[in-house]
Amino acid sequence: MPRRGIRGGLLKFIREDDLDQIRFAIVEVLAEVGVLMDYRPALELLADHGARVDWSTSVVKIPEHLLEKALATAPSRFTLYGKTPEYDVKVDLERVYTIGGSCALSVLDLDGNHRPATRQDLIDLTRLLEEMPNLDIMHQIVVPSDVPELGYELINFATCYSISKRNYYSQAQSAESVRDQIKMAAVFQGSEEEVKRRPTFTEVVCMVSPLKHEKQNSEVLMESARHGIPLYIEVDALCGATTPAPIAGTLVEQGANVLAGVVLAQLVNPGVPCIFSIASGIMDMANGAYSGAAPETCLIHAGTAQVAHMFGLPYQGGTGIDAKLPDAQAGYERALQVLTNILAGTNFVHLSYGMMEQMLLASYEQVLIDEEIIGAAFRIARGFEVNDYTLSVDLLARVGPLGGHFLTQKETREFYRKDRWQPTLTNRDTWDAWQAAGGKDMRQAANERARAILAEEKPWAVTPEQAAEIERIAQEGVRKAQQRR
Amino acid sequence: MERTELFSKMQQAVIDGEAEQVESLARQALEQGIEPLEAINQGLIPGITEVGRRFERKEYFLPELMMAAEAMKKGMAVLERAIAERGIKREALATIVMGTVKGDIHDIGKSIVATLLSAHGFDVVDLGVDVPVEKFLESVLAHNAQVLGMSALLPTTMPYMRRVIEALEERGLREKVKVVVGGAPVTPAYAKQIGADGYGDDAVAAVRVVRELLGIKEQAQ
Ligand code: B12
Repeated sequence: MPRRGIRGGLLKFIREDDLDQIRFAIVEVLAEVGVLMDYRPALELLADHGARVDWSTSVVKIPEHLLEKALATAPSRFTLYGKTPEYDVKVDLERVYTIGGSCALSVLDLDGNHRPATRQDLIDLTRLLEEMPNLDIMHQIVVPSDVPELGYELINFATCYSISKRNYYSQAQSAESVRDQIKMAAVFQGSEEEVKRRPTFTEVVCMVSPLKHEKQNSEVLMESARHGIPLYIEVDALCGATTPAPIAGTLVEQGANVLAGVVLAQLVNPGVPCIFSIASGIMDMANGAYSGAAPETCLIHAGTAQVAHMFGLPYQGGTGIDAKLPDAQAGYERALQVLTNILAGTNFVHLSYGMMEQMLLASYEQVLIDEEIIGAAFRIARGFEVNDYTLSVDLLARVGPLGGHFLTQKETREFYRKDRWQPTLTNRDTWDAWQAAGGKDMRQAANERARAILAEEKPWAVTPEQAAEIERIAQEGVRKAQQRR
Repeated sequence: MERTELFSKMQQAVIDGEAEQVESLARQALEQGIEPLEAINQGLIPGITEVGRRFERKEYFLPELMMAAEAMKKGMAVLERAIAERGIKREALATIVMGTVKGDIHDIGKSIVATLLSAHGFDVVDLGVDVPVEKFLESVLAHNAQVLGMSALLPTTMPYMRRVIEALEERGLREKVKVVVGGAPVTPAYAKQIGADGYGDDAVAAVRVVRELLGIKEQAQ
């Protein structure tokens, strides 16, 4: 059975008529302001299909009919494949999934040290994430400091893809890298044709705000689309700095920027899955910092869900939090962020495990704490049902007003198991009972649990032979990347 | 207008970030026969110094700071043109070449630093992003820069800063420029390790460290 996420979308901040205005504004920006694309083949393709290109500035203006045509072929429903069918993810505009990662530079390890991430951390954190029941999509949570700079994404691919059964969220520095990644996936999937038919990985492409697609962005986007590899087309707005300070204006910039990428992808390969993606934040005007956990950031991410869905595109939102330790700040930031996103119907809640300090730091302990928060948030989003059975009038009549309780009623036993979320790290004991059990706070409990998970060696998702072959291709790719430089 | 009144209007216009006003006041100063250097020192600089102070006290935030810096630049352009016309060379505090290193397109942090430095009287040559070694070297030579500032936001591009420093050494330029580095993943320890002279974790720190390296004292008011 594939994974089918719960349905979000209860929370809406934008009224329908305001949503129309956002759409018109995006269409106008695309058609009249345009997007800079620093890649000739992209501009040529768009020009061939009726976009207006200023060849001296590389700015392309995309008319509404071209946008409509792209949206008609971009699917609203598709599957992201896992290595086994139970890890397939059924994507539509309502269901909510989570993504681990992304790309932290440092780790806060289980001994409490803050230090640069290593490849061993990538292995351990990926193994830890793989055991999180609410994680749907695997991503590189750190970029190790002990791997080569050029082609590092290939080493990360080899590591995470080999460990995890989940669909792998990858990135590429060149078209060549995309092809190498297809080769690596083919080691497991049997052939490159099979990879293209049922891709077990995706690519993210991060555009620059305002309204700019770098050469590398378009190159990777076009190469992935050509092979049918699903794309997260992402902008990371810094509201107030790289996008307008009003949230509505930021939604407009994000929309025009992402949709320009969607149009390009659909021209290259009509039907290739495109996920409208953001990892935006506000700029803290006191120190210039990117804040992924500010309340305004939550609003941007919730609002963008409505915008993406209006265009019929599945949506990735979510950012890391700003706290530096798994402390009270971390708890409140993560909870508000995750809950807002899930309720808003963010189809992929990104950076949802362990990511702290403005996406610079990954914490082992926070991975487990986040699993707990995400579990609770999903439970809230699931809501409750009202029907004859749950209204329980007959049951109330049976127990009656003369004293009694429901604990011994079979309905209770039947119902609570499927209805209740059972915490694993949360402590609901009284003081004395909690003290008697060691008096551990949540961080300590998470630490113990992480150690226990890591102590247990589980087989990787691919065989040792496959892992060796994948590693060989990655190393070869790194060598080639170094030569190209 | 009375000179002192004019200067205090200029200061206020910088504080308010009113670029056009600063520009027209600068012109007015010239028309009144005020020495451009004096207008800079008594009109513009006290204004921006006050803005910097308010920023550190968190009374002003980045938008006010950046707009004041832009306004300051506009005024400077008018006054420096006049200085040049008189055939004098204004002594900028120093010339600083800045850029985000090759392979890296993170722009905004570097731009904030560049703007703030120029607002504090430095001549800043902003080379933009994705800047290769040769371009840094050429620019340092062409502008006879005393400081080279590099920004990197990716661990994959941080080592490039070391390459630039090595290239400076190879060309015998290392002694001529102070190298300062920054960007979210860069640490003081890393800066030291690659042989940089200074590090700053935000734009205010960048100004402080550049001043320290050049032995420039805080402007007295
Ligand atoms: C916004 C952003 C982007 C935007 C940049 C837009 C722009 N116009 O600049 C976009 C979307 C383009 C982008 C792209 C990418 N990004 Co990015 N990005 C960020 C983000 C969220 C914020 C950076 C920022 O602007 N901060 C605000 C500014 C004001 O702060 P700052 O740059 O640090 O500058 C301040 C100080 O550092 C200092 N300073 C800066 N420079 C200098 C220089 C000197 C001399 C001195 C003294 C001081 C100084 O003063 C500044 C002002 O206070 C960071 C996360 C983070 N917390 O840093 C990720 C981050 C840096 N990006 C990351 C990644 C992975 C990427 C991509 C590779 C993603 C992709 N898959 O394509 C690409 C890189 C492409 C490339 N080749 O460069 C990672 C890097 C980590 C890693 N391990 O590799 C980060 C950490 C996020 C993450 N975990 O995923 N990114």
